[in-house]
Amino acid sequence: MKILVCLKQVPHQDARLDIASDGAWIKEDGIKFEINSYDSFALEEALRLKDAGTATEVIVASIGPERVTQALRTALGMGADRAVHVKDPAMDGSDALGISRTLAAVAKSVSADAVFMGLMSDDSNASAVGPMIGELLGVPSASGVVKEEKTATGFKVERELEGGALEVVEITSPCVLAVQTGLNQVRYASLKGIMAAKKKPIDVKTAADLGLAGQVGASAAKVKIQKVYAPPKGTGAQILKGSADEVVTGLVGKIKELGLL
Amino acid sequence: MTILVVGEIQKGSVREASYELITLAKKIGGDVKGLIIGSGCAAEAEAFAKKGAGMVYLADDPALANYNVDGWTRAIKAAVAASGATTVLISNTPSGWDCASRVAAGLDAGFVSDAFDFADGAFVRRVFNGKLDARVVSSAKLTVATVQPGACKPFEGTADGKIEKLAVDVAGLKAKFVETKVAAAKGHDLTKAEIIVSGGRGVGAPEKFAEVIQPLADALGGQMGASRPVVDAGWLPHEYQVGSSGQIVTPKLYLACGISGAIQHLVGMKGANFIIAINKDPDAPIFEVAQLGVVGDLFEIVPKLTAAVKAAKGA
Repeated sequence: MKILVCLKQVPHQDARLDIASDGAWIKEDGIKFEINSYDSFALEEALRLKDAGTATEVIVASIGPERVTQALRTALGMGADRAVHVKDPAMDGSDALGISRTLAAVAKSVSADAVFMGLMSDDSNASAVGPMIGELLGVPSASGVVKEEKTATGFKVERELEGGALEVVEITSPCVLAVQTGLNQVRYASLKGIMAAKKKPIDVKTAADLGLAGQVGASAAKVKIQKVYAPPKGTGAQILKGSADEVVTGLVGKIKELGLL
Repeated sequence: MTILVVGEIQKGSVREASYELITLAKKIGGDVKGLIIGSGCAAEAEAFAKKGAGMVYLADDPALANYNVDGWTRAIKAAVAASGATTVLISNTPSGWDCASRVAAGLDAGFVSDAFDFADGAFVRRVFNGKLDARVVSSAKLTVATVQPGACKPFEGTADGKIEKLAVDVAGLKAKFVETKVAAAKGHDLTKAEIIVSGGRGVGAPEKFAEVIQPLADALGGQMGASRPVVDAGWLPHEYQVGSSGQIVTPKLYLACGISGAIQHLVGMKGANFIIAINKDPDAPIFEVAQLGVVGDLFEIVPKLTAAVKAAKGA
C-alpha cells in the first residue's frame, strides 16, 4: 500500500503575527515555519503503518516556495521514502479547491492507495482539503480520525465526535484520512534518518506539470481572504497590573469576593 | 436567492445549531429552505420546517439512519439541485466538517469554513487558532459554508412548514457506519466541579502540572483540568480535557494558566461564572472571555497565588 501524506508548512505556533501591507494575510518574512501539527500526526501514522509492514511506501507532498524543502527534508528524515514539492508561483492565492486539485493530481501521479493529512491546518483552520481530495478522486474520506486499522477492503476508523464520543466507520480503499491531533506520539528524526534524508529524492513539480494550468492560483480562486485583523477587543478581561505580589493580592481579593476562599 | 440550510438530528430532535443556521441565512438574505437527512424522521423534518426552515427537503432512507459521508454528500447535492440554492449552510460539527467541503468540491462551489458571522458581503471566520479574524468573500455561483455552532442565536419564530420528499441514490455507499462509542465517565468528572484550575501548552512539561497547577487546584479545593494540546502530548489523560471534544464545564471559578484560548477550548469553559486567565501573551484570545487577567509568567504567579490562598485559609 502506497500512502501519500500531504504536509502544509505553516508559521510556527509561537511566531509573531504581523499583518502584511495588503492586509490580506500575515507577513511571512523573518518568521519561523514548521510542519502543520495536524499533518505531523498524519505522517507519524503513515510511518507506523510502514514500520508494521502494512504500507510499502510513504511519499510526502507539499505546496509552497523554497522554504518548504526544509519541511520535506524533516519528513524524509523521520522515515518518508520520497517527496513531491509543488513549487510554482502560479499556485499563489489558491483557494482550498485549488490546493485540493493539486494534491489530488499528485496522488494520481504517484498512484497512492491512501492519502493521509491533518484535519485542518494551524493557520487557516479550515478542515477543507482532506474531504475535497476524496471528492475529486471519487473516493471516500473520514475526518477527525483518532484511530485507524487496515482491513481487507479499506480502513476501519474511529472519528472523534463531540464530548469524547467516537464514531466507528468502515470506508473502502482508496480513501483519504484527515486525522485529529493526539492519535499517536510523533517521532523525532534520528541523526541517521536526517543523514539518509539527504539522498532521498524530492521531485519538484509545477502546476503545468500536473496538468493544472489555469485551474489554480488567484485567478482560479473562487474564495479570497479580503483581510485579516486582530479581533475587536470587546469588554475583555480587566488586566491586573503591578508586581507579581501585587497581582497575587488582587487575585486573592477577587476570589474572596466571589465567596470561594 | 435561495439558501439551503442542512439540519442535523441529535438524540431524536433537530439540534439547536441547525436553528442557528436559519438566523444566519436570514442575515445573508434570501429564501430559506431546509434539508433533513435520516431514516423515519418525517416528524423532525416537520418540526424544522414549522420552526423556521419553511420548506424542508426530506431525504429519508434506512441507509441514511446514521451519518454517512457518502450518503450525506449525495443527499446535499440532490437538495442543491432540487432547491436551486446558491448558498448552502451546514453546521461545523463532526458531520459538517466531514462532508461539507466534499459537497463544495463536487459542485465546483466556493467553500468557506467555520464562519461565525456574515457582514458587508463577507463571511467572517477565525484563523491562527483564534488569534486573528478574517473576512472571506466568495465569488462563486454556489457557495457552501460551514457555520460555527453557538455563534448565532437559534431562530425563534415559525414558518409555513412544508415537506418535500427528496430522492437520493443510496446504492453502493463507500462508507459504512459501524457504531458510536460513548465516552465512559472515567472518574475525573469536571462537570460538577465548582473551581477548576486548568493548564495549557504554556505549562511546558508534564511534571509541571503536578508541581505547579495541581497545588493551586488543591489549595482552592478545586479540580485540575487541561486544554487539548496537553492531552495530545500525552502529559495528562483525556479525562482532564476541557473543550468541545472533552468536557464542557460550568464552574463558579475557572483559572486558565498558559492556555491561549483556541475556540475548541473556549466552547468548553466560557459558561464558567468567573474566568481568570494567566498568560504571557497579551494577545491571547483567552483574555476576551476572561473577566480578570494577568499578563505574566505563570511559573512566577501561580506558586505565589497558591501560597497566598493557603495563607488566606489559615493553613
